[in-house]
Amino acid sequence: MFLDPRIIIMFGANALLLYLSLLVNSALSSWSLYLILLGPMLVLPAIFLRHRSYMLCTLFTGLWVDAALPCQFGLLTLGFLTAGAFIFQIRFRFRAEHNYHPIMLSHACNFFCIALITLATAFHQFGVSAFWIQVLVTSLLSHALLTIIAPWFFDLQRLLFELFGLDPEPEDFPIL
Amino acid sequence: MAKLRLDKLKPLVALGIFFVVWWIVPPVVKSFFKVSFTEFQAPAWVVTSYLEDLQGFWARRSHSKIELIEAGRELARKKAYYQYVAQRNESLEAEVDRLEAILNMPGRREFRYEVARVVRRDLSAWWQQIVIRKGRDHNIPEGAAVIFSGGVVGRVVEVNAFTSRIELVTSPNFRMAATFEIDGRPVIYQGVIQRGFGRATGSVNDAPQDIVANSQAPLKLVSTNLGGTFPPGLMIGTVSWLEPGSTGIFQAGDVTLDERLLSLHEVSVLIPLNPIELDTDVP
Repeated sequence: MFLDPRIIIMFGANALLLYLSLLVNSALSSWSLYLILLGPMLVLPAIFLRHRSYMLCTLFTGLWVDAALPCQFGLLTLGFLTAGAFIFQIRFRFRAEHNYHPIMLSHACNFFCIALITLATAFHQFGVSAFWIQVLVTSLLSHALLTIIAPWFFDLQRLLFELFGLDPEPEDFPIL
Repeated sequence: MAKLRLDKLKPLVALGIFFVVWWIVPPVVKSFFKVSFTEFQAPAWVVTSYLEDLQGFWARRSHSKIELIEAGRELARKKAYYQYVAQRNESLEAEVDRLEAILNMPGRREFRYEVARVVRRDLSAWWQQIVIRKGRDHNIPEGAAVIFSGGVVGRVVEVNAFTSRIELVTSPNFRMAATFEIDGRPVIYQGVIQRGFGRATGSVNDAPQDIVANSQAPLKLVSTNLGGTFPPGLMIGTVSWLEPGSTGIFQAGDVTLDERLLSLHEVSVLIPLNPIELDTDVP
């Protein structure tokens, strides 16, 4: 098949995760708290799909996130593709059939996204201590929640693959 | 010697090609993608907002008749009071118009108020914005002032078909001309990075040396018509301490903003009835 049908499920799940995280952020606004939960969106497409399908899924996810967040358009698209390319490059090293490696990767990707947003949007705030406190609080809260959200998110995607009769395993198994 | 597998570099080559394409693609194409994706997402947020309204409606339906009668009575009292205030406002406006005519003063900018529900709040270290449920369908212009019952909310920065994005007064990217209520001289208000779990704050700069603020009687910072966007006299916040600024000529201090700013549900967009035409109105 020219494109893997699983990209529809992965993209849909990514859109759902973004929607839910923005809903929570909206509710948390009165405490000046914010969550960045972008890491899990990059992991399964890069580990599960062939290159063409992975590229398309990550590109659309990046554009979707860029349109939803008030950062410069294209920033997260390029960031997602960069992080995804590195994961894709070394994906044989990861065990995708269990959640441990994907969770670790999602934490790394999430940290990369936070660093990217910080570098790109708030360069003039680097000297302000309140800014770093806010970034630290956001990062800690996001990564703490990610330990719960990421397994749920990956299990949800696998469940959807099974429900729609698609292959719940990666294209290439890791070298053991 | 091991043979170099070029297919292993495929992801990096594809990434490089995408970077080059992204940089050479005209901005109009990127803008098209941004608008398309934003408009595609907007219905989900609008539906969420309507569902919240419905939730509120059913929550109110569960109130007893006694409670509703009490609320109606309270509303009637407030209505009577506001009718009296409106009458007094009319007579004062007439007086102001008469005095302005005598003094040959230039006419003030008039606004139409467009009340809109807040769909989403994005308040973080990186951005301080909210999304409202009205856009080009209600002729919301970019750059319009946004207010609520507590005073200034911010400025419209992006208008879409059914939603608009507003830069909040708390954002470090937000800056406006202001004045203290007791003093007509202009000062500069600017948003600052918000501290978590704290009250919304901003900063005031270029305050004259002779103004004294204290926590017993904080100074009220209000909008001025110097910027052209906001009508004068709208509450921005209170200042309870001023100290010499970095130049030593003027004073600077923190502004305590209304705490409701971080959990807004409804705002009003001020749409100028006679918008300033840059070609003809600006000298």
